Amino acid sequence: MNFEELFWALQVMAGLGLLIAAIVAVRFKNLVSAVIAMAVFSLILSLEFYILQAPDVAIAEAGVGACLTTAMYLLAIKKTTDEEVIE
Amino acid sequence: MTIDGMFMWALILLLFSATLTLIRLLAGPTIPDRAVALDSMTTTTAGAMVVYGVITRQAVFIDVALVYAVLSYIATLYIARYLVKKRVGIACECEGEGP
Repeated sequence: MNFEELFWALQVMAGLGLLIAAIVAVRFKNLVSAVIAMAVFSLILSLEFYILQAPDVAIAEAGVGACLTTAMYLLAIKKTTDEEVIE
Repeated sequence: MTIDGMFMWALILLLFSATLTLIRLLAGPTIPDRAVALDSMTTTTAGAMVVYGVITRQAVFIDVALVYAVLSYIATLYIARYLVKKRVGIACECEGEGP
């Protein structure tokens, strides 16, 4: 196995993972499950930037996507009532 | 098999295990299942990032794995605090205190 085949295999896997995570984040009924799916989406997007040789963009995406977005969405959901949250 | 080939197979196996945890996250019936699956997936992907940095021989890529490991820990901490506050997934409530 040379490096080019590995690169294209990683590209295909990251694209499929992005598609699956985006569809699932839209279609989950539970709000916390949707936030976790958004965290998975940002994880795979950070991996995609990383594969495309842009580590600084990957660091920025990890900081915004993994930490700030998840924490802010959860702090917002915590203020809502129970009928929307508990399945 | 060269050393690079062995590292490539290790990277493929790490990403395969990350795919398995993604399936667990999609099919998990409860929220704590999904939170644990997210934590396991971020840890496995950080390991895959380190192995990819070894393959391409660029030391800058190791920093991304370190930063992502720390930030995913903070995200998991927030999810766990939320689950404790809302009492999701707590098995026994037999101590007489309601939710």
